[in-house]
Amino acid sequence: MTDLKDIVEQIDLLEPVPPIAAQILALADDPNSSMSEIADLIRNDPALTANLLRTCNSVYFGLSRQVESVKDAISFVGLDHIVRLVLLNSLSTNFKKDPEGYGLGEGELWRHAVSSAHVAGLLADRFGVSQKKHIIYTAALLKDIGKLILGRFVAFSYEKINILVGSHGHSFNDAEKRIIGMSHEELGALVAKKWHFSQKLIYIIRHHHLADELARQDLGTSLVYLADIICMMMGVCTGADGLSYRFYSEVLNRMNLSEKDLQGIIAQACKNQQQVEILLNH
Amino acid sequence: MGQKQMKTQAVNRMTAVNFSEMRISSNPTETLVAFSIGSGIGVTVFDPVCGVGGVLNFMLPDSTKANGVNPEKFPLMFADKGVPFFVKALFEKGNRPDRMKVVIAGGAHIMDQAGIFNIGEKNYEALKNGLANYDLKIHHEDIGGTNSRTLSLEIGSGSSSIKIFGQGEVKV
Repeated sequence: MTDLKDIVEQIDLLEPVPPIAAQILALADDPNSSMSEIADLIRNDPALTANLLRTCNSVYFGLSRQVESVKDAISFVGLDHIVRLVLLNSLSTNFKKDPEGYGLGEGELWRHAVSSAHVAGLLADRFGVSQKKHIIYTAALLKDIGKLILGRFVAFSYEKINILVGSHGHSFNDAEKRIIGMSHEELGALVAKKWHFSQKLIYIIRHHHLADELARQDLGTSLVYLADIICMMMGVCTGADGLSYRFYSEVLNRMNLSEKDLQGIIAQACKNQQQVEILLNH
Repeated sequence: MGQKQMKTQAVNRMTAVNFSEMRISSNPTETLVAFSIGSGIGVTVFDPVCGVGGVLNFMLPDSTKANGVNPEKFPLMFADKGVPFFVKALFEKGNRPDRMKVVIAGGAHIMDQAGIFNIGEKNYEALKNGLANYDLKIHHEDIGGTNSRTLSLEIGSGSSSIKIFGQGEVKV
């Protein structure tokens, strides 16, 4: 087993997240905050504002008129979209690296993250989650951040992990824990803590594979889990871990999701993936 | 300012076949690739006599369960619509059932994803039915399990390859 201190120390090597990510998240999920507070926050960051306007004027939205201000942007594409774009913009930096060990190419972890976040957003709308929907989106985006650090340790121990998964039926995260001493969920939660994200966000990242029974009863965590497995089933940049995570039918039952619902959500996600690709390549 | 014509080069070209897509080719320098297939299934077909092959990458078994997605607009997302669409397109390019070599890979599931939620298994059943309607036999298959797979077809040689991370490559 690896000295866990060696792993945890690597968190400091990640690029720090700009404070606006946590700030906008706090505002967006606070029912007492106003749209102008969010607009002001964005306006204070000229680079972010420029980027945001560029995306709003791109084919992704296909608007018929030019968006020239943050206020315009919010009224034309909606506050939810703007918040998500700010989150994408401010959280992408670290993901550009290639997480060795998980068999993913450059940018593939980010593509999986953005796709999962998109599906999580779809699910949050479907389940009428209004208060915490941006936390759910962000959790889906950041859930695998631990892989960026754990990757090299996974690469070193891949054969042992693969035996536990392939021959002994362990899930990939369980095998990480047993062989390396820490799973990408645990490490991801430590990163989120270091970046001063909310307790809820840290909790979802920590439990997004739902090994803990209590987590299976939490709607937010279940939605992120579901978004993740849907992307695995769709094969959106799945790597060495493939689909080697546990399925909990009780979670779908609790959410009243039938077989037809699951297929319908996957169809919807597949259809939307073209849009996600435009956003990623923009 | 005159536009220059792009010179065609005799280098190997790799074309990605994303999910809910198909590609058909007779270009001997082209390789068609369906990357990281999960529960969906990738199908390669090649007819060595006419030298035309194709790859279909579908995601779901049954277009009647596609809540809110119009199957007429996305036929290749579903086995029941996509397989006939794909096979007919190959027939039009000269493929004949007795000569068509079919290789399939995918249909994976999340661990313990049994019964009604096992979409990979349903995809496999739907695909077998779809192929049987045209008397097409499966030459090689790698189906199920919890690995994601990459499936490709080299038009020049007609050979298919299935790759799983950490397990190397199988060529057929």
